[in-house]
Order: sequence, then C-alpha cells, then structure tokens
Amino acid sequence: MRRRMRWLALLAILALVAAACGGDGTTETTTGDTSAPSTSAAPDTTPPDTEPPTTDTTAAPPSGELASVGVESCDAEDYEGTIQSIEATDELTVVYTLCGPDPAFLAKLAFVPFAVQPAAHLEATGGAPLDNPIGTGPFMIEEGGWARGSEIVMARYEDYWGDAPAFDNLVFRWAAESTSRILELQSGNANYITNLAASDYETIEGDANLQLLNDPNPNVFYVGMANTFEPFDDPLVRQAVAMGIDRQRIVDNFYPEGSEVADYFTPCNIANGCEGEPWYEFDPEAAQALLAEAGFPDGFETTISYRDVFRVYLPEPGAVATELATQLEENLGITATVEEIESGAFIEATSVGAQDGIHLLGWGADYPHVTNFLDTHFTGPQFGDTIPELVDLLAQGASTIDEAEAAPIYAQANDLLREHVPMMPIAHGAAADAALATLEGAVVPPFGAPKFADMDPGSDTLVFYQNAEPISLFCHDETDGESLSACEQVLEGLYEYDETGTPVPLLAESCEPNEDGTVWTCTLREGVTFHDGSPLTASDVVTSFAVGIDAANPLHVGNTGGFEYYAYLWGGLMNAPPAEG
Amino acid sequence: MGVVAETAATPTSPGTRMIGYVFRRILIALPVLAGVLLVVFILVRILPGEPCTAILGERATAESCERFNEANGLNESLPVQLGIYAQRVVTGDFGDSIRFSRPVSQILIERLPVTLELSASALALAILVGVPLGVLAARRHNTVIDVGAMTVANVGVSMPIFWLGLLLAYLFAIVLGNTPFALPVSGRMPPGVRPDNFWEVWGLELGDEGFVSAAAEFISNMEIVNALISAQWSEMWVAIKHLILPTIALATIPMAIIARMTRSSLLDVLQRDYVRTARAKGAGERRVVRHHALRNALLPVVTVIGLQLGGLLGGAVLTETVFGLAGIGTALYEAISTRDFPIIQGFTVIIAATYVVVNLVVDVSYGYLDPRVRLR
Repeated sequence: MRRRMRWLALLAILALVAAACGGDGTTETTTGDTSAPSTSAAPDTTPPDTEPPTTDTTAAPPSGELASVGVESCDAEDYEGTIQSIEATDELTVVYTLCGPDPAFLAKLAFVPFAVQPAAHLEATGGAPLDNPIGTGPFMIEEGGWARGSEIVMARYEDYWGDAPAFDNLVFRWAAESTSRILELQSGNANYITNLAASDYETIEGDANLQLLNDPNPNVFYVGMANTFEPFDDPLVRQAVAMGIDRQRIVDNFYPEGSEVADYFTPCNIANGCEGEPWYEFDPEAAQALLAEAGFPDGFETTISYRDVFRVYLPEPGAVATELATQLEENLGITATVEEIESGAFIEATSVGAQDGIHLLGWGADYPHVTNFLDTHFTGPQFGDTIPELVDLLAQGASTIDEAEAAPIYAQANDLLREHVPMMPIAHGAAADAALATLEGAVVPPFGAPKFADMDPGSDTLVFYQNAEPISLFCHDETDGESLSACEQVLEGLYEYDETGTPVPLLAESCEPNEDGTVWTCTLREGVTFHDGSPLTASDVVTSFAVGIDAANPLHVGNTGGFEYYAYLWGGLMNAPPAEG
Repeated sequence: MGVVAETAATPTSPGTRMIGYVFRRILIALPVLAGVLLVVFILVRILPGEPCTAILGERATAESCERFNEANGLNESLPVQLGIYAQRVVTGDFGDSIRFSRPVSQILIERLPVTLELSASALALAILVGVPLGVLAARRHNTVIDVGAMTVANVGVSMPIFWLGLLLAYLFAIVLGNTPFALPVSGRMPPGVRPDNFWEVWGLELGDEGFVSAAAEFISNMEIVNALISAQWSEMWVAIKHLILPTIALATIPMAIIARMTRSSLLDVLQRDYVRTARAKGAGERRVVRHHALRNALLPVVTVIGLQLGGLLGGAVLTETVFGLAGIGTALYEAISTRDFPIIQGFTVIIAATYVVVNLVVDVSYGYLDPRVRLR
C-alpha cells in the first residue's frame, strides 16, 4: 500500500513539474483557443450566405496604392453606420463620405481613438500594437518604455513637426488613491496629478507650492424615471418630482466647489445646449398640487436605485440617493427605498429602460456637441417610451450643419424635455487636477488629456500621476481615460480640441464639407513624419480608420476587438458579422 | 495523518518517511487546489455584472457584447467553459486575460515577484521584531517592559493597514521630506530609473520565450534580488528604500501577533518542570531561555507564522494600493472589478498553492524544532 502511494506521489510530482514547465503560456498555441480576441470579428464566423457587402477588406494597401474603406450602400442590411466610405484620393487628401450630414463630424474626428499610425506598423503588429504605438506626436515610446505595472517613459520626439517640448522625458505613473497622488505631489516626486477627491481641494489651495487646476469637462447628473412603470407613466407625477426636489441643496452638500445646478440637461459650454426654457424652480407646494392631481395626495412608495461608482457628475452616489429619499419624503410624502445595484447590472437595466422607480445616473461628454448629450439619451429606450416629437426634432438637429440654424430646434427639444420630464437634470459636477506651482503652462482642457508638451517643469523630466495603469496603448480599441491620456501624448489625429473644446486642425491643414455636409475633404499637413521616420500619408489615415471601423479588415484585431468608440460614435462597424439570435 | 508523536519503531528511515509524507501532502493538495479552482470559477460567474460592460465600458452596445462574449467563450454553457478551462490548466496554461489580451502567466511573472518581495520582507521584519519582543516581554513578565511591549503589540494588531500606510507616507514624505530620513511613498523605483537585468550584467543572452527566460524575468522583477545578484549596489539601496514603508505597514499586524504568541508560549514553557530543573542545576537565565525554553516555545509561533503568510498575501492588496505597488493584490482587485475571470482564477489558484506549500513547510519544520515530534 505504502509503495503504491509512493508511485502515485511520484507521478503527481512529475505532473506538477510538467505543468510548471508548460506554464509560460507564451509558447503554446491551441487551435481551440476560445479566449483569443483576435477571432472575435474573423470572417469565418460569418455564414457565407449572409456575408455583408464589402468594397475593400484588404489589411493595408500595397506600397504606392491609395487606400480606401467603405460599404457599398448606407442602406445595406445590417449597416447602421454613418460613414459610407473613406478614401485616399492622393498622397495628402482623404475624403470622408457620410451617409447623411453630421454637424458633429469634426468634433468626433478629434477624438484620440481616431488617431493615425503608419499602415506598415499596423500590418507588422497584426493590428494590435498594444504597447508600442507609433505616432506623430511630440513624445514617442521607445522599446521597453512601458514597464508594466510601474510606469511608461516617453521620450521627446526630436523631429516633431510642431513646437518641440521643453523637456526630454515624460513619465506616466499611477496610484489608485487620491491621497497617495497628493503625497507624491507634495513630496515633489510628481509634477502633475489628476482626479482630485473633493475633500482634497482645500489641501491643494492651502499649499503655496501647489496649484489647483479646474477641469471644465462637461457632464450632467440626472434622476431618471422610466415612463413604462407606474406611477411614473403619469407625466404629472414626473413633473411633481421635478419641482419637488431642492437641487441647490444637493449641490451645496455633496459637490465640490465650482459645481452648479443644472438648468438644462446639456451643459451650457456646449453650443445650443442651453436653448429654450430653463428647468423648473424648486416649488414644493406646486409639486404637491400636481401629485394630488395625479391621484397621489399622500405620496406613494418607490425605489431609488444607483450604482456605487465615483464619477465627476456624481461623487457621492450613496449619500445623494439618501438625500433624495429624504427630500421626496419631506416635500412630497413619497416613501423611497434606496437600493444599490452592481454597476454592470445597473447600466444594463437602465440603458434599456428596465429599471423601475427612480434611478441616478449621469453622463460625461465624449465630444463637444449637443448630440452627444441629447441624441444619446432621448432617442433610445432608457426612459421607457420615447417622445416622438423629440426624436423628430433631434433627427432634424443632427442633420443641421449650421449652429445658428439648429438653435431653435434645440430650444424646442429642451422645452419638450421640460414638459415630459423623462429625467430631471440635477447638477454639473466640477473636477480638478493639481500640479506643482513651478509647472508652467499647466491647463486642463475640457476634452482630452492635458497637453504635457505645452508645459514646462523647469527640469528635463515631467512626472504625471493618474488613477490607474493604461490597459493598452492601442487606443483605437480602448475606452478608459487612463489609456487615452497616454495615447494623446504619442498619437495625433487629423483634428484636436483646443483649450475651449473647439475642434481645430492638427495633422490636417483643414477638413472642408461639401454643400450638404455629407462629404468632407481633408488635406493633410506636409512634412509630418512618424516616430519611425516614415512620412504621414493619406493611406495611413485611411488604414488607421479602417482597422477600427471595418470589422472584416484582417487588422481589425486590437485588444478586446470591441473598437467601441468606432461602433458608438459612427453608428456601427462596417461589414460586421450579424449578431446571433 | 500528518505529524504525530512517534509511538513505535518503524523499519523505514526518517528521510524516506519524510519524502513519503511530502508526497502524500502534495497529493492531498491537488484536490484542494481543484476545489479552490472550481469554487472561484463558479463564484466569479454568479457575481452580478458582465465582463463585457466592465471591460468595454458603459457605452458598449449589445452587438459589441455579443461579439465580445463569443470571442472570449463566455456565451458557452458553464460546464463547457469549465471543461475548456480545466483542460488548459492541467497543461499549465491559465489562459489569457480578457482585459489585457496577455497570458495570465506573463502577468503573474510581472506581479508575483513584487508581492513576494514585499511579503517576504514583511514576514522577516515581523519575525525579527516580534519574536525578540515576545521573549523580552516574557522574560520581564509583569514589569513595565512587559506592559510596554504588549501595549505596542496591541496597538499594532488593531491598526488598519490602510490608515497606517497613509500615516507613514505622510510622516516620511512630507513631515520628514527635507531630512535624510525622507522615504519614497510609491513604486519600486524612482520615475525613469530602471536597473539592468541581472542576466544583462552577467553578459548572458536569453531568448524571448521558454522556461529559463520566464524564470530569469521573474527573478529580475524582484528589484532587490536582481540588484543584489548583479552587484548594482546603489540600485539595491534605492529598491530597499522604496520597500521600507510598505514593509512596515504590512508587517505591523503579524509582528504584533507573533510577539503576543511568543510571549504567552514562552511564559507557559518557562513554568515547566524541565526548565525548573535547568535552573536548579545552575544554568543562567539567558541559557535557560535560549537553549531550553525558546525552542519548545517556538512550535506554536511557527504555526502562527505560517498562518500569517496567508494574511500577508491578503493584506498586500491594501498595502500595494496605498504604496502604488504592482503586485498580485492590486492585480486581483482590478480583475475582480472588471470581471477578468482568467486572472481571478489563475491568481487565486497560485495564492492557494502558496498557502498549501507554506503550511507544508510549517508542518515539516515541527520535526526539526521538537525532537519528540516525528512522522509515523
């Protein structure tokens, strides 16, 4: 018996040793690898008889040829995107043909996921340059620049086409705790830190060696009420809630300095955001009368649901939920039970209007256009049944290129929101970064990451601390702010956002629309080179875009393969395999 | 099963018995690890929240999620997912991280050395301070020293790591910031400083893949060890300085527990007959404690030390967060937040395996500490 046990033990040890030797995981490739994201959009998952129309699915064009990508028709089945084609018409000209006019085209184009990398590099990395991006930006990442877990060291790109940075190295580091980041700043180990907690403003303002930098990123916190659940199916009830909450009290008690009560859903620093009548004043008597008229003179019972996730628009979710419950009870006699829901499940439920009662949510702008606020929220099912007049107006606004011409449309849209109250806007939250007082030129732009190349630390290195490590540096396929921040220092797109959030040309000399705004012709800046020394061409621009937007492109690989911003901002991916079921 | 007092002579040698014992323990560990894997596999999947929205972001569309789930095998039934995963694990492949698209084993090679270095230094500090403190308190029983030492231990055991870490960071980075006592508060090295890998210093060339390369990278990621074996003394000092505050923060609780356990165990042993006999024979107090009492008193202390290692791995989550260290604690925390199943599963199994190994070492060490304890 003992002898047999020894043999068994010996076999077990051998198995463990074999497992350990094979544990590297980098040398084995199994054909049945179900976790390889590269297979997510592979053409072989598409049944042959349902293959969508494709005009160009080559990875990158052969040298000398001009690249293009597109769909045969915007009306093609299973295509809901807003871009019909992108073509390089000569070495320095790119033509975007849209399915319809898009007044937010340039505002979207300036977003960093649409930055340009050399077609040859994308091909060489199999469409997944996850930690070695090559861009045209003022900083470059040399081999081994990213020490996973520790830091990313970026070196100044000496042949940068614009003004060269005043310092040699930019170091990205991360610390999850706001207090830890502040300690790094106070001890002089960091020049710039991001995402201050509201409680830290005082510390920064009270220290003469530091400077507080206000972050003007537009956002809104709102209280949603899906109109498919009782008693919120009655507009009078929703209006009563809208008048019965003292929003100023919430902002005063739970938001940092610089935050303000939201008079409109869209913040006023977005063009046409604040057209029409402002939101209701706090009027508990009028609210009670409305509630009585709706048949609830003594209130009713409901739930307030939220997710316990810090966001600039809602820094203290639990406390605000409790405050709302208190106000509903005091002002309207409504008894609300506060319920915390796991973030993913909460987003899943609220996005399809499946969350009963009142829910707390918000929005931070992706790009500077009113469509990013109104269209995103009020053309879908988040608040139950849509308001047909509102949907029509938003469609009209979204195809009106001229800002002034669109103003009365958005005034009517805002008035409809006020009348139907699918939600109640509560606050526009303030945020801030901090830097050493000696850091010159430190500014937080309303969109995108700080431009460190424009700053001067007075030494050869600038050290920046953010919340977390980037997931990857292939920002075509990332959505987290930490990845995008790092990418912005290295990669550039045709446009960028200036200090007011206005899109301005970067790698493009200009992008001009045709008369109806459906064709945009972009002329590239001459003499721009990538970090590998190759010149910027129109084909690089097209291939970079194609890798993200064309699901049938062999280089459509990325990190997760989601290419979320391509799908979300341009209405959908080209040539995507049909979803099952 | 396990360690028992020897009651009868056996024909086999002690060495053979020991090897057999270790083999049996490893055999028992296999189903334990399989059980851990199964429980974690199921638990992470019944948590509310989908990996898709956690990883692709709040703007993820239903179509994106469908493609994401398909690509990652998440739309298969649970038994099928488990079968595929188990098949890979037995070949030593923990799969790829959903979030980073990188092998879990590669992430482990980057992260585990940081936690090991931190835990080992914390455990060493806890033992080096805790045991002498406990001995001192026992020898000076019911004196001011005893009360003082135990007060320190009680304060230590009740101090939250998070709070202590921030307090230490504030003290050494801000209050003592402009003095020679200033210490770094985050990371393993200063910004932009990268010590050479030991194999480069030795003039060796390693391939990009393979076991040797992975092992070398693993060792190299332990900054102090890497600097030590490659004689990069200034880098080693910098690496040590970066580890001082997290080590103190992490060591405080186990140090206090070890001190209290040493004291009570030694007090108990010091009242035994054989100690009285030793004293009666004229042995000095120092000799009595060092040669007669302490070795016996350490038996329960060793058990506690073994248990503390598990606590250190758990406590490392907070310490790593406060001091910005990229160890397995922070990786596991982030993976749980983003539902990165392969990392959660792989790292949990590794932690469980470490725990099993440490407990085995503790059990084996009994025999060496107490000659009466032998294997049957």
